[in-house]
Amino acid sequence: MFLHHLKYDILSMLRTKALVIWLIIFPIVLGIFFKVAFGSVYEKEIKFDAVPAAVVEEEEDPYFAAAAKALSEGDDPFMELTYTDEKEALSLLKNGKVKGIIYAGGELRLSVAGSGSGETMLKVFADSYNAQRKVIVDTAENDPARLPKVIEALSQEISPATKVSVTDGNTDLYNQFFFNLLAMVALYGSLLGINITLYNQADLSPISARKSCSPAHRFTGLLATLVSCILMETVCMTISVTFLRFVLDVDLGKHMGLVYLTSILGGILGVAIGFFIGACNSFSFNTKVGISMVFSMLACFLSGLMIGNIKPFIQQHCPIVNDINPAALISDSIYCLNICSDYRRFTIKIVTMAAMTAVLMILGLICTRRKKYASL
Amino acid sequence: MENTVVKIDSLVKRYGDLIALDHFSLEIKEGEIFGLLGPNGSGKTTTINCLLSLLAFDKGDIKIFGKEMTPTSYDIKKDIGVIMQNVAVFDELTVYENIDYFCGLYITDKAERKKCVDEAVRFVGLEDFLKFRPKKLSGGLLRRLNIACGIAHKPKLIILDEPTVAVDPQSRNKILEGIQELNARGATVIYTSHYMEEVEKICTRIAIMDKGKKIAEGTKDQLKRMIKNTETITVEVLGLTDEVISQIAGLPHIYDHSYDGSLLTVFCSGGKHNLIRVMEVLQKNDLSFGRVYTELPTLNDVFLEVTGKALRDKED
Repeated sequence: MFLHHLKYDILSMLRTKALVIWLIIFPIVLGIFFKVAFGSVYEKEIKFDAVPAAVVEEEEDPYFAAAAKALSEGDDPFMELTYTDEKEALSLLKNGKVKGIIYAGGELRLSVAGSGSGETMLKVFADSYNAQRKVIVDTAENDPARLPKVIEALSQEISPATKVSVTDGNTDLYNQFFFNLLAMVALYGSLLGINITLYNQADLSPISARKSCSPAHRFTGLLATLVSCILMETVCMTISVTFLRFVLDVDLGKHMGLVYLTSILGGILGVAIGFFIGACNSFSFNTKVGISMVFSMLACFLSGLMIGNIKPFIQQHCPIVNDINPAALISDSIYCLNICSDYRRFTIKIVTMAAMTAVLMILGLICTRRKKYASL
Repeated sequence: MENTVVKIDSLVKRYGDLIALDHFSLEIKEGEIFGLLGPNGSGKTTTINCLLSLLAFDKGDIKIFGKEMTPTSYDIKKDIGVIMQNVAVFDELTVYENIDYFCGLYITDKAERKKCVDEAVRFVGLEDFLKFRPKKLSGGLLRRLNIACGIAHKPKLIILDEPTVAVDPQSRNKILEGIQELNARGATVIYTSHYMEEVEKICTRIAIMDKGKKIAEGTKDQLKRMIKNTETITVEVLGLTDEVISQIAGLPHIYDHSYDGSLLTVFCSGGKHNLIRVMEVLQKNDLSFGRVYTELPTLNDVFLEVTGKALRDKED
């Protein structure tokens, strides 16, 4: 009976155009779009001129000093800094000798006179520094030996022109978009997960009502649909990862096996989210699909799919969001593998994802255990 | 003695303040084609959903094949076939796959199932459409597929909830003939509809429902005997005077009449030769007339007399 359910559930899903479009074609198209958009940045190897800036030290800040040194020295410096007092700095800014004034000492403040690329780069630097200052301070206090690498990572993040190897992994900033793309495909698994209730809850569709009238045990049907959704999502995630790695040639690091496993676990989490959304309320099927789509896109937005800097911003102001955002968990897991080779952090993320999956599945099962309905 | 297949006792179902079923009781015997007739919203589908244990109800008892029906009464469910009002098939599966899927919920043995599916396909006449997806089928064929999915496992009790809604007359007739054939093969049938002609045509016994209550029950002849009207005479005639009308109204067995200036309608209760007597009055007054016809009472007349309103909605 289970295999009978499973066979037709899979067949039905494979032939559902909307699922194929959202779970296979759309990610491929978006991946190609990202590759085209960011590929030109990789290939041109643009060399930016160092941005002239004045620094006014309001109080002594060794962490800023270290970061500023890293960014203003070397063969391809990001900034050309002039340490001076405020009056002189304003004069330099007025005369166009510098693009902006950085007020150092605690949180950075920035004063600019225009809106060109130089000013933008200074703004990115200030924002990134402020977002990661806590990390820098914590590292300096707890693990000073790692401080240079953290600062180098900061310089790499704010400067697309420089490429600093702080780890044995790939540090291309744009890879983050591909990680988030995988997170998006995983969360689209929620569209599949909603089907679990659609086909097994008599008040949601005539098909499930007909199934409920049959002698087939309800739990068998539920389990078969759940397994078919997981299998389908596994196939979709495998296609996405394979396409990114072997067709678009995106560098996903050395641990491809773990990247596949992480992506598949993320996909199962997506299915669990859909199952829960489908089961926990009595809205119509279309409303449930809408909720699922909005949730997926919001999670991906907060994870940086649309705006790259949003995740550090959230990490600074409300880190709990990154800890429970499924999209952030998925992309961070791959990030940990690919960039940091940080297995401890990777394990925490994976365990969090597995725990969330289990909790959502259990809640979904509890919500669908009803056998009779108040209305159909 | 015939066995009782379905017994519903004093069923009450409320939706908030609305009482959908008000102490509704019913007993259906083996081999019957039992019709549940009533206007939209009368409680037919609610009764079926409660019967199938899909819907929770507030009071009452339901027994099928002598056993209490619950959501986990799998031994009862295996002998029931359900054809819902809404077509319940997978759009992504072919005709054959759909029938095989639903049949597989009842019959696990593959060889036996294949036999049943093939038989169901032949029964509904879908042999030429086996590889079609439901979206490619016409409304009538889709309804036939819906029926095939419900009867392929050869159930002892078949419940059809308005299976002919939005079906062309040709397909409708085929469906009705099929139901009679299933009954002839031994299945007990419960058939809900608001089309009185269908119920009149195929049902051996009928219950008329309104506002969640059973207002009448019996064979169609028993139901028709319950009402005053036995014959309705209609005559196309111009220029009837009040005097002539009162002569007609005074004839024996005529209990009501109406005249709108061109059409005279006379309602009779019992008696023979009512039409001849009306014609004699018209001829005696030297009145020429057009078409004349007489109608026996229908279930609609039964419904009209019992409830004071027409059975069928205007849009139907």
